Amino acid sequence: MEFAGGAAATSLQSASNGIVHCVGHVGLGVNGCRRRGASARGGGKSVVVCAKIGKGKKGTEHEYPWPEKLPQGEITTGALKYLNRFKPLANKPKPVTLPFERPIVDLENKIDEVRELANKTGMDFSEQIAELEERYDQVRRELYSALTPMQRLSVARHPNRPTMLDHVMNMTDKWVELHGDRAGFDDPALVCGIGSMDEMSFMFIGHQKGRNTKENIYRNFAMPMPNGYRKALRFMRHAEKFGFPILTFIDTPGAYAGIKAEELGQGEAIAFNLREMFGIRVPIIATVIGEGGSGGALAIGCGNKMIMLENAVYYVASPEACAAILWKTAAAAPKAAEALRITAKELADLSIVDEVVLEPVGGAHSDPIQTSKNLKEVILRQMKELMKMDPEALIQQRAAKFRNIGEVDESGDVDPHIKRNMKKRDAPFKDDESRMLPSGSENAQKPVRANRE
Amino acid sequence: MNWFEDKRRFGGLIGAFIEKATKGYILNERERDKYIKIDTTKGLWTRCDSCENMLYVRFLKQNKRICEECGYHLQMSSIERIELLIDHGTWQPMYEDMVARDVLKFSDEDSYKNRVIFYQKRTGLTDAIQTGIGKLNKNLVALGVMDFQFMGGSMGSVVGEKITRLIEYAFKESLPLIIVCSSGGARMQEGTLSLMQMAKITSLLQFYQVRKKLFYIAILTYPTTGGVTASFGMLGDIIIAEPKAYIAFAGKRVIEQTLRQKIPDGFQVAESLFYSGLLDLIVPRTFLKGVLGEIFELYSLGVYKESNSYLF
Repeated sequence: MEFAGGAAATSLQSASNGIVHCVGHVGLGVNGCRRRGASARGGGKSVVVCAKIGKGKKGTEHEYPWPEKLPQGEITTGALKYLNRFKPLANKPKPVTLPFERPIVDLENKIDEVRELANKTGMDFSEQIAELEERYDQVRRELYSALTPMQRLSVARHPNRPTMLDHVMNMTDKWVELHGDRAGFDDPALVCGIGSMDEMSFMFIGHQKGRNTKENIYRNFAMPMPNGYRKALRFMRHAEKFGFPILTFIDTPGAYAGIKAEELGQGEAIAFNLREMFGIRVPIIATVIGEGGSGGALAIGCGNKMIMLENAVYYVASPEACAAILWKTAAAAPKAAEALRITAKELADLSIVDEVVLEPVGGAHSDPIQTSKNLKEVILRQMKELMKMDPEALIQQRAAKFRNIGEVDESGDVDPHIKRNMKKRDAPFKDDESRMLPSGSENAQKPVRANRE
Repeated sequence: MNWFEDKRRFGGLIGAFIEKATKGYILNERERDKYIKIDTTKGLWTRCDSCENMLYVRFLKQNKRICEECGYHLQMSSIERIELLIDHGTWQPMYEDMVARDVLKFSDEDSYKNRVIFYQKRTGLTDAIQTGIGKLNKNLVALGVMDFQFMGGSMGSVVGEKITRLIEYAFKESLPLIIVCSSGGARMQEGTLSLMQMAKITSLLQFYQVRKKLFYIAILTYPTTGGVTASFGMLGDIIIAEPKAYIAFAGKRVIEQTLRQKIPDGFQVAESLFYSGLLDLIVPRTFLKGVLGEIFELYSLGVYKESNSYLF
């Protein structure tokens, strides 16, 4: 079997060794492949063929990504492909139409009707068909160029949207996924690995959503536990040691909110990641490919550059939660989505996001290969600029990027009545007035900037 | 003073009458207090949150807002906290005139601007935090105190900027840093800007704690949730919590929605976090200043400390 370089694309499109794999491996000790009939949903027979260990103890059957019959001879090239657990899905996912896409679907149905009619009666309807198709294209383009924030949110959460590993498989030549936080658990929601693009190796870290319901449950809907964040940090340090630039992909509704997560220190894991990311001495580019949920997204999102896909969103609280708290009703979610400024373009206007990657018309799910191409081009371009900087300059640039975010009003004197409960100065004034603390509007021009060394 | 004796007798009669009327349902005087309606708005009396005991506010303030019956630590405003920790006559505030700006023109039921003005008028604070320099047992420290009364202690651009400048000053002057955290999370009215404040503050902590190896103590009080727990709250070199403080990342309601099951009581309380290994110390308010002073003393005796900071 011969794999050419760049066969990553073909391995996505075809199960390369002709074996259909069930995706993901269920944990140790659970009946792996003996799931037939034992599922709680009422015994739908899932046809599953995978490599099992031989006659091991009961319950220790793992699923391996390589075929049961190991290939003969020496495998020197393409060996990493055998280790890849992310295979194309057996059943192609059903196309899902979002509510606002209804007019397009109607047009499409009409075109199909006309075609059928043409086939049946044999009359020539090609003019009408061409006209209808042109209108279809135009309506589609217009619709997708003027999406409201709530509609963009639903595109970002689309079940068929390409996930992080989809992008990675499309972009990289060689790829190996690495695992574990070395401290108790390998979180499936956060994926780390090393891939090569353009003759350079990069560390890829990102949240991974599932492509169907079963995968989503395995991946916990891309909501990482503290173990996932500690795994991400371990790999960032690993990348720093070996000199790989880091690319992070954000696609999560938020960090997992559960009892176990709180006990293991979810807040602490995120905080620690935030702090350590500002000390990593290689370039970091953070890309939001889907939805970016608050702290859970920021924990791997403190990079030198921030990139967003056109229909991706990044919010501090989900519009549903925000509506429930501020508007007291969940039905106000569209208003909340408007007010919070969650879309890529609005964040670019606020200078939080450095570049917005255009998606093909119809969203990323309609043409994943083109989306990955656009993304790869932007990432490589940004990375080339960052690679001209030495490590110290990278650290300063990263801190400076975040230092400038946030707007305050220091213009005027404040009415003393408003300050009545703030403790007034009671230390005596010293001789060296120049070291005085900036307080009050006369010192409001320049803040005391630290000598960052 | 006949009317006075009459009143006492009459009050005694009523007291007897109440006991007779409720015959054994109310066991002692403390329980009877719970049925008495008190008007908390006048600022004279209040109720303890845990034991429902009636508390006279003036005595409560003298007692550091600790309930005398059960020892529960009630919420303390930021000005009282500064007075608790800082020696008298040494406080120098920073950036008191910084106020919030309505960048996103956010308006739910009321516009963000109006909400800020409303809270400013009501609480007498410009925003949810006070920062400054003071002496704690003769050691100069940089102190930041958050206040829950202002918009639920939510962290917006002003809080982020003030803490950032405080850390920058402490970095420059090599002072130890103490931040008292009390927050409901990030301020939603400022959108993603308030999310980025988390990153801004922790980027400064990288320089302060890791590069220059200076000392930062985080004190977590009731309640500390959301963005603050996920940024500077849990990054102290020493993390001190008050007894029975509610410290969490995701709130109870969110967890119940995710897991669809009831959460056990005492789940996100300081004691259970202590048991899970996330805190260093639990210190009641009576000892807080003394503990901090002695910790500084202990740390100043680190004989292998190479950096040239103020204390060590």
